[in-house]
Amino acid sequence: MTDIQQSIREQVEGNPVILYMKGSPQFPQCGFSMRAAQALAGCGVEFAYVNVLEDEGIRQGIKDYGNWPTIPQLYVGGELLGGCDIIMEMYESGELKKAVQAATESAE
Amino acid sequence: MNRSEMIRSRIEAAINITDLLVRDDSHLHAGHAGAQAGGGHFYVRVVSPDFTDLTPIARHRLIYQAMGDAMRNDCIHALSIDALTPEET
Repeated sequence: MTDIQQSIREQVEGNPVILYMKGSPQFPQCGFSMRAAQALAGCGVEFAYVNVLEDEGIRQGIKDYGNWPTIPQLYVGGELLGGCDIIMEMYESGELKKAVQAATESAE
Repeated sequence: MNRSEMIRSRIEAAINITDLLVRDDSHLHAGHAGAQAGGGHFYVRVVSPDFTDLTPIARHRLIYQAMGDAMRNDCIHALSIDALTPEET
């Protein structure tokens, strides 16, 4: 495993909810990342994020890590939950809030 | 073959389709950072019995796998996906 893959593993396993996105939740740099961050914020739990635009290694590495070709990507409890479309579907159905709350509580 | 046609043919080659819509939304995103590399924004609505009993993430993976090397920044920057079974439509 490369150093980048190891770093990503530590990030996703060390944070119950972590969003890989372009920009930050305050200053998103892409509409899809913006929507994903807003949906997470709407769930009322704290979440970590990584701005992939600040690290080209992570930007490519996260696509390889979960075999998922696009950004944003949401990891919950160490597992890839999905990209923007799945995040929005789960947000609208209420499943996202349940999933992130459960992961946050089990990490405490 | 334009990119919409390429997306259609790749999905048709990999997945059993009962209905398929491919839409090029690139004009909605012209000029933003992600579009600089030349990649387009596309929307697909795929209806397939192959999705039966699959989670959303597994359905999206099937479509991404069908796209293969086209999921690069300079070709397809973003692909919005609706993946449904015939019963869900």
